[in-house]
Amino acid sequence: MHTQEKHKIDFSFREKLNGIAEGYRHNFCYQCGACVADCPAGMYSDHFNPRLILLKALLGFEDELIRPDSEIWDCTNCYTCAERCPQDVRPVDVIIALKNLCVRTGNAPELILKTSDPVLTSGITTKITSVVDRRRQEMGLAPVGTYPVDELKKITEGD
Amino acid sequence: MKYIPFFGCMMTTKYPWFEASVRKTVARVGMELVDVDGFTCCPDPIYFQARNKMDWYTVAARNLTLAEDLGHDIITTCSGCTATLSEVNLALKEDNDLKDQVNSRLKKIGREFKGSINVWHAVKVLRDDFGMDRIEATVKRPLEGLKVAVHYGCHLLKPSRVMRVDDPDHPTILENMLRAIGATPIHHEKTLLCCGRACMSEDIPNQMVADILDNIKSHQADCMGLICPTCFDEFDVGQIILGRKLKRSFDVPVIYYFQLLGLAQGMDMKEVGLHMHKVKVDHLLDMVAV
Ligand code: SF4
Ligand code: SF4
Repeated sequence: MHTQEKHKIDFSFREKLNGIAEGYRHNFCYQCGACVADCPAGMYSDHFNPRLILLKALLGFEDELIRPDSEIWDCTNCYTCAERCPQDVRPVDVIIALKNLCVRTGNAPELILKTSDPVLTSGITTKITSVVDRRRQEMGLAPVGTYPVDELKKITEGD
Repeated sequence: MKYIPFFGCMMTTKYPWFEASVRKTVARVGMELVDVDGFTCCPDPIYFQARNKMDWYTVAARNLTLAEDLGHDIITTCSGCTATLSEVNLALKEDNDLKDQVNSRLKKIGREFKGSINVWHAVKVLRDDFGMDRIEATVKRPLEGLKVAVHYGCHLLKPSRVMRVDDPDHPTILENMLRAIGATPIHHEKTLLCCGRACMSEDIPNQMVADILDNIKSHQADCMGLICPTCFDEFDVGQIILGRKLKRSFDVPVIYYFQLLGLAQGMDMKEVGLHMHKVKVDHLLDMVAV
């Protein structure tokens, strides 16, 4: 939060975050910073800091967090912060809730939908090419089966 | 004992030789695998979870119910699948409201999550349900002299509340499993660092991968040993792409644990797919006298 701009504090953002799965956990954060030291995304960059992400969430700096180029997208999902946090905030789960909010409001990087769409349209993330079954056969494995895409459509919202 | 294997997208389509290695090696240890039809992507804990967490819970729960029908625990062979299936399984067991929400969706396809099975990474099951002695008993050619730099990856261990495998800061499981096949585990400064795969920026994972590989080299390890196809992807083909970018070469062979186990059990290079790796491993095989 080394920007010079002034931000308006907006506590109504807390309500928005509470409405997303696991988002309510941000309310437990008392800004101790225990999640910071061993965070690899923080270690290998000069902009990533899970405590500051939590602070921005608490203060409602929505315009900084909910955007396709927000720092939240640099989280590695390693769960080290969840090991360290004494308040059971699980910062990574709050970051995931923020990401869900980005997707819901059309503020996610293109890559997120592009990479996850195939799960709903084909049942898996990777591509099944002609090479796949040949390689499987060479290794003595059965061919790839069919994926019940129709079932996935029925049980998901899709975005 | 019977287990249901969940190999996941990456292994099924891109690295089938890992799947073959798991199937052949665990059979020798005495683990019986029961295959299930109809599994989909776990779904992936990065992109799919970021997209919509309720969908993520639900698709994972559907996979879990297929295993519940047969009544055996799931073994996973990828850290990503472990992250999703173990986490969702526990979350739904612990939170009745969440379970009801997910079950009201599953009802549309005639399924119900009951919470009657467990999900564990295959190495945990090998350690706890079979034990090092049983692994050692299958070894025909101990990998003596082979120095393997251990790479844990994140989700075998974390979140520890869910995974319940080992101390996330001082783990020993992979070191012990390497010793059981005669190899020498090398613990280095970045043994526990993540591969960075999930980061949107390229710079962060590039630095992480380079740092890990440089540490491995400075400890004179012969190769890197790991338990996840996504980490493998990041370090095998990934190190070549990164090398091109940085105009340098790393030359650190990367080997999946079950390939090492296969070698120790007397299988040859092709049986475990070592000839398919981007970073060549041939010179190591002379060492272990294949
Ligand atoms: S460790 Fe937990 S309570 Fe402390 S700053 Fe991080 S999220 Fe907040
Ligand atoms: S999961 Fe936590 S510790 Fe890991 S990169 Fe994200 S914020 Fe940092």
